Amino acid sequence: MSETKTNLLEAPFELSYKYKRSSGPVMSKFFEALGDKKILGTKSKAQKVFAPAAEFDPQTRETLTDLTEVGPGGVIESWSWVHQPSDHHLLQIPFAFALIKLDGADTAMLHMISGCQESDLSIGARVTATWSDTPTESITDIKHFTLEL
Amino acid sequence: MIQAGVIGVGQTNYDSKRRDVSMAGLVREAIDHAMLAADVDWDAIDAVVLGKAPDMFEGVVMPELYLADAIGAVGKPVLRVHTAGSVGGSTAVIAASHVCAGEFKTVLTVTFEKQSESNATWALSPRYPYSPHINAGAGGYFAPFIREYIRRYEAPEHIGWKVAAKDRQNALKNPLAHLQIPGIDEKMVSETPMLWEPLRYLESCPSSDGACAMVITSEEMVGSRKVAWINGMALRSEGTLSAGRDEVNPQAGIDCAKDIYQQAGIQNPRKEIDCAEIYVPFSWYEPMWLENLGFCELGEGWKLTDEGVTRLDGSLPVNMSGGVLSSNPIGASGMIRFGEAALQVMGLAEDHQVEDANIAMGHAYGGAAQFFAMWIVSSSKN
Repeated sequence: MSETKTNLLEAPFELSYKYKRSSGPVMSKFFEALGDKKILGTKSKAQKVFAPAAEFDPQTRETLTDLTEVGPGGVIESWSWVHQPSDHHLLQIPFAFALIKLDGADTAMLHMISGCQESDLSIGARVTATWSDTPTESITDIKHFTLEL
Repeated sequence: MIQAGVIGVGQTNYDSKRRDVSMAGLVREAIDHAMLAADVDWDAIDAVVLGKAPDMFEGVVMPELYLADAIGAVGKPVLRVHTAGSVGGSTAVIAASHVCAGEFKTVLTVTFEKQSESNATWALSPRYPYSPHINAGAGGYFAPFIREYIRRYEAPEHIGWKVAAKDRQNALKNPLAHLQIPGIDEKMVSETPMLWEPLRYLESCPSSDGACAMVITSEEMVGSRKVAWINGMALRSEGTLSAGRDEVNPQAGIDCAKDIYQQAGIQNPRKEIDCAEIYVPFSWYEPMWLENLGFCELGEGWKLTDEGVTRLDGSLPVNMSGGVLSSNPIGASGMIRFGEAALQVMGLAEDHQVEDANIAMGHAYGGAAQFFAMWIVSSSKN
């Protein structure tokens, strides 16, 4: 094919909008509780506890409304170490993204583990929540998890 | 082909802000109503078909991922449909097609929009580098087509007001409808501000939260349940800016209607169809679609409206539920038309029931009046 003149159109295309979320009767309690330094899960009829709170049981399809407190301690199910955090990361020192099964829960939640070396981490190791001093009723009220001593 | 029927219709109430529920909770509310009406449990559902309008409306891209638990799709096939504003209708057709084809015996289908989480006019008005920014949304886009319809057929101004008042009067008989305006009449509509000339404020649809679901099953599974038999269904499309396209009377709409009439054995839609739920988000689309759907000759649609033919007590009631002009959770709006048509032939439309409704039409259009979805439901099989 012969070389043709390329005419690249370049123009800014910026979209932004502040979406609002209605968190509903279950998740709104989960977020409120975070402001009080508590983590809530939901319990199914078969006593299975979902944490963070879930509105529906994927298997039985039942609507979950029975809230129950879990954690703040739990065990590491898996992790991924971040050697060099980027600007967008919430922590600016090396940390781990981790799946943490909180005490009293049957499912794992995704959060961060900080204040340790990568070599300190292992599946099954115990961690506990470190709370923010300025709660905003959001998931970042848990600053991160820390290895239990 | 296997005969399919609707055995359950479920709707949420429609409101500007359903802040009491999450998106998942809203969708599930409609599903719970539909499954209760159909008297089926989750084991009976073979697949779930979800539809909604553009993802930018809520900013949740691919919501079927997040909603899989809420719609009971775990362990079942899930399909997601999108055809802009007509998606509620297209989703019903896709769901029913899988039953007719024998792929699934019973399908749960659900559509929704939670407009309170965003602003559809904003989402529909991105800045493109090759055109000046209009920020007019759907009303601004359709206003010139309406202007052209009025010019072609010398339609008087009050026709739009009449449709707007009639649909809101019907909404007063439907407790689920979003807009409830006691005392609504043509004068009230005519005194509201001009939004997108020639459309006034009350000639336009509201912005609503809501969801609609249906259970569609094959003939062998119906049993003793009430059923709306699906006797014809079709989809047609056009390009947004295709050269030579007639936006006032799109060929895709004409062809789609002819297809469903042929499937359902309808020779004269004006005489044989007892009532219709037609997608009318802006008042003038009632007469425009009456013509496009072959209920009358070109230029005669506004006269049917003017004569009161489309009133709840007329000979061809249109939008008995209050229509899109009274409730517009965009992604669900088409399915509400299809579901309300089903409720009519099942005799379950309560205060807005048309007496002896045996054959009803559900209709939806979307995009730049370029996607069409329609079905004919009946109290008797094809």
